[in-house]
Amino acid sequence: MATTFPNIPAAEDTAPVKVVATKRQYPGALVVVEGIDGSGKSTQLYLLKRWLEIGGYRIHFTEWNSSPLVKSATRRGKQRRLLTPITFSLLHAADFADRCERQILPLLHGGYLVLADRYIYTAFARDAARGCAPRWLRNLYSFAPVPDITFYFRAPLDVAVNRIVAGRPKLKYYEAGMDLGISLDRAESFRIFQERILSNYDQMIETDNFILMDGTVRVNKLQKLMRQIVGERIDLGQFAPKKK
Amino acid sequence: MTRPDKANGSNAAPDGGTAKRSRKKVQPEAPSRFYGTTLPGVKLEELSGTLFVLEGTDGSGRSTQISLLTEWLESEGFAVQTMGLRRSFLVGQDIDALMAENSVTRTTLSLMYSTDFFDQLERRILPALRSGLIVLADRYIFTLIARSAVRGIGRDYLHGIYEMALRPDLTFWLNVRPEIAFDREFKKAQTISYWESGRDMSLSNDLFQSFIRYQSLIKREFEYLSKRHGFIELDGEGSVSEVNRVLRKRIASHLGIRSTHYQPSHALSHLWR
Repeated sequence: MATTFPNIPAAEDTAPVKVVATKRQYPGALVVVEGIDGSGKSTQLYLLKRWLEIGGYRIHFTEWNSSPLVKSATRRGKQRRLLTPITFSLLHAADFADRCERQILPLLHGGYLVLADRYIYTAFARDAARGCAPRWLRNLYSFAPVPDITFYFRAPLDVAVNRIVAGRPKLKYYEAGMDLGISLDRAESFRIFQERILSNYDQMIETDNFILMDGTVRVNKLQKLMRQIVGERIDLGQFAPKKK
Repeated sequence: MTRPDKANGSNAAPDGGTAKRSRKKVQPEAPSRFYGTTLPGVKLEELSGTLFVLEGTDGSGRSTQISLLTEWLESEGFAVQTMGLRRSFLVGQDIDALMAENSVTRTTLSLMYSTDFFDQLERRILPALRSGLIVLADRYIFTLIARSAVRGIGRDYLHGIYEMALRPDLTFWLNVRPEIAFDREFKKAQTISYWESGRDMSLSNDLFQSFIRYQSLIKREFEYLSKRHGFIELDGEGSVSEVNRVLRKRIASHLGIRSTHYQPSHALSHLWR
């Protein structure tokens, strides 16, 4: 039925993901940390933030899933387990769009150094692990500015999973990927889900120019490296306090 | 008893090859029910129902026609499910709340509408189609694409998001001039709403002008979408009974209903003009 309608041309899903670096039209800069839970990324970004804060730089810190506009919907969907892979993905994209349009973009245009704990790559890795098509996800987030630096914190699966399980009394339903029906055991499901996410992240190292950070290295040593890379790649003087 | 036949068939196919090929030709429409990627977990052959979409701007008479068509189809013995914008359990009320504030940006609103759409599609429309129901959609992805496109969001981006939407069996476009839509909407509410007049787009401080300009932009998007997606364009300015007669005729021929005779019940007779 209804075969007379012209087809919307759709690119092959197997085609390699093309990442087009758009020319930057703002004076600010964007530094992103990515990685699975327990990889140490939040600790490292916090330390980077402290370093820049203490130095008086024009910075702003932002993290995933913090927009109040979409919060009630996300909460309802999660509590009642109404979310499918598609609506889960769209709702998080709506949330990200709010943060992007009302926070990240204005700050970049206003000349801030923006530090983001998780960015669009979290959605690419996580939603693809849920079964969303990578090409569809790339299109969905194509409005997001490309980061200046993306640090990818990688820790072996066991290390990361143990860090999370030790620190949390109970894994949440969606966090553990229970909606995928991989395993009835929450810890087991979490492990398999994180394994898929990890492998999706690994595939983006090349396509999205990730800087690979070894999450098993001592905290202060890794932080030293992170500060060094930021100093090399970003003109920090631009964000330094103005001398009167 | 059927086993030997089946075995023969499957054995013959790899040698001859023709059996397999001809079987494929019988149902070429199956993959085309989605625009691009199929939604995860959906088996197309299970969807035995039919999806009819009514599109058109505010004041084009969609809701009236859907009420009448529902009654007619039910009287013909068809079970009907309806869908429309902001009716999902997941985010319907959240969109209302977002629109009441003025802090929401265009991409967020656009994506909230997509969430609303896919929640209804996956949890209400697909189950209905699996059960063989007739689904009448009061607006569909086309309104959502048009509204976002006039606000500067790319058409390819929007079509990309909705490539997992189910392709309607028939899409009717109730086309009315913005001036007529204005008269109808004003009569209904005694005022013109913020969003219907596109006031977020700062087109004009004169509300009438703003409404006309906004609805003209939407109409232009519909003209483009109509070509791209093969809408059946109807004169939405005709009388309710005349528009309804044309709709019944097209739907009846699609469903194989012989009689298109219909007289609204007492409960709906006030709509019959």
